[in-house]
Parts: sequence; C-alpha cells; structure tokens
Amino acid sequence: MSKAALLSLQQALRKSFQTLECNQKVWKSVLSECSPLMDSLANLAEQWKALSNIQIANTPLKDFPDLEEKLRFKLLLATDTVLGKLNEKMSALQSVRDAISNQVYAVIQLYEQNADSLDLLSVTERSATAPSIADMLEWLQDAERYYRQQFLKKKTLLQTVRADNLSLLESTPEKWKSLESPSADNHITDTLCKVSFFMESQ
Amino acid sequence: MEGPSGDITVTSSNRKCSAVTGSGRRIKDGAADWHNLRARWEKLNDDGFVIAGNIVNLRLSSHREQQVHTPPAGGAAELQEECCKLHDIVHKMVAIVMKMERLMASQRGILDLEEFQFGPEGRKVPLFHSWTTKQFEDSSRVLLDAFRRELQLKQTILQELGHTVTSDLCMVYLSCWLHQPFTPPQTRLTLEALLLETGHRPL
Repeated sequence: MSKAALLSLQQALRKSFQTLECNQKVWKSVLSECSPLMDSLANLAEQWKALSNIQIANTPLKDFPDLEEKLRFKLLLATDTVLGKLNEKMSALQSVRDAISNQVYAVIQLYEQNADSLDLLSVTERSATAPSIADMLEWLQDAERYYRQQFLKKKTLLQTVRADNLSLLESTPEKWKSLESPSADNHITDTLCKVSFFMESQ
Repeated sequence: MEGPSGDITVTSSNRKCSAVTGSGRRIKDGAADWHNLRARWEKLNDDGFVIAGNIVNLRLSSHREQQVHTPPAGGAAELQEECCKLHDIVHKMVAIVMKMERLMASQRGILDLEEFQFGPEGRKVPLFHSWTTKQFEDSSRVLLDAFRRELQLKQTILQELGHTVTSDLCMVYLSCWLHQPFTPPQTRLTLEALLLETGHRPL
C-alpha cells in the first residue's frame, strides 16, 4: 500500500469538500436572488393575462386606440429585462456547477490513477472521525450529480420560456419552484457535517 | 435683449460650458429643465403607483365584502383618502406638463428668433456640436407629446380606478400606470441625446 498515494487522495478529498461547502453557499445565495425575479415574472404574466382578457375598446381606455400595442411593447421590454437577469443568474449557477464538477473529476481521476497501489482495506476503512474514502468519493459524486442535474433542469426551463407565449410564461415560476429539492440539499449539508472532523484533521 | 450676442461665434473654447450665452444658454438650460422635470415625473409616477395599488386593493376587497353580505365598514373613507392622494399626484403631473409646454414655447421662440436673425435657413454654425436649432425644437416636441399623452392616460386612470371592480381592468390600469406605454425607450434616448448635445453629459 502506498502511504503517499493515500495522503494525497485524502488531501484532494479535503479540498473537494471545501469547494463543495463554499459553492453550496454561493448556489443558495444565487437561488435566493432568483426568487424575486420569478415573482416579477409571475406578476408580468398576470399583467399579460389581464390585458388579453379585456377589450380596450369596451373600456374607458377606448380613447387611446394605440394603447394596447404600446402597452404590449412595454410589457415585452419588462419581461425581457427579467429574463435577461435570470440568464445572468444562470451563468452564476453554471460556474458553481463547473467548480464542483471540476474538483470532483480531479479527485476521481487521482483515485483511479492510484487505484492499483491502494488496497481494499485502506479505501474502505473508517474511523470515529473520518468516513471511508469510498464513502466520501460516493458522496462527492452524488453532490456533483445533484448540481449538474439541477442546473440542467433550470436552464432547460428558462430556455423554453417565451415572452410572447402566455401559458409558458405563467407556468414558469411554478415549475421553477417545483424543481427545488430541499431533501437533496439537506443531504449535502448532512454530508458536509459527516466529513467535518475529517476536513479539520491534517 | 441679448442683441448682438445672439449670433456670437461659437468657438471650441466657449462651446464647452459656462461661456455659452444667448440662444445656446437658453437651449442648454432648457435641456437641464427637461432632465429635471422628467426625474420629478418619474418620482411622482412611483409614488402614484403605490397609491393606485392601494386603491385597487381596497376597491376589490370591499366589492367582495359587498357581494358576501355587509356593506364595507371603514373602507369607503380610506378609499376616498387614497383617491385624494392620487388626485394630488396627477395634479402635480399636470403642473409638470405645463412647465414642459412653456419649455416648448421658449424653444419655438428661439427658432423664430434665429429665423429672423439668419433667414429661413437658420444659423450656419451649430450652437453646440452638430444639431441645428430646429432639431432642438423637434426633440422638445417628441418629449412634450409623449408626456402629454401619458398625462391624459393618467387622468383617465384617476377617474376610473376607484369605480372599477373587474380585476382584469384594474390590473390593466395598474400596468398602464407602471409601464407608461406612451413614453417608449425612444423618449429616454431623445432626452439623452439632448443632454449629450448640450454638453450636460460628457461625450
């Protein structure tokens, strides 16, 4: 068994969990910035719907024949602005996903390079303070997959939204909410708790 | 009267800022006024939107109560109060548009003066960077027309808002108040161009 390989693998694992920990915070804060934007989108959808439901010509606004067209244009602008801001947030989420993915791929690669020199016992052995290497690798992959899938789902959802398609616009905030998975997120927090002693040890 | 200073030759040194006199001075001050009036209008618009939102909420909830059973308790007084507040806002907007009309009139006066001084072609050398005096008048007109129509819309909304019980129509009124459909982005660009040309914004 190679002691050096084991040590470097542990070091890489520590670094991966640190990356995971700080990126989890970034992810959460970006998501919390998205929710007011989603509220604005829902509100704009309501305005679109109200405008489609009424006949301007039958209301006191009939003296403004071009009102509907102009209001539609302004609503389109406002919707566009919100969608643009959401896209910026998606870039932030993408960099979180990339940071985590890169780190996890690196540690998996390191493990695979040294797999021959590591015996089964040293990979599966755990102590009161440190989980086994096998467990930790698995947790990292779970977390990486979670962020990758979450990002993809959100991105796909936003790519299908069209400012001129009312039903899509209306359903987006709800769909966005339904993508949230508090249990998976708690699971990552649990994982970080499980490895906290390991991360502190050198 | 400004007399001969009206056709002062604008050189690169006095074109910059404080040395501007005569028609240039008036136009430059007018541009600053446009900017300030628009800023005040936007502030009033924001304040008014909050009040309009309150009115809609009060109106719709009291309408719902009426449908169920009892007449609204203290809602009417509150509604009246909010409507008065909105009335004040629109009243201030009327004052702003009146000031804009005066700006427009002085712009037209400058144009007339220059036609008198330099003939129907107007002055040969631009007052600032490149615009002719006519262009200042044109952009003032674009701005004035936009705000005039916006004001008409606001006045209609003010009259109707407290009497509307269809939630869709209320929503459209609020939407109109907030998004100001008659001041498209071109209005903002026109104002910015005016500020750029007159040197209020650095080139």
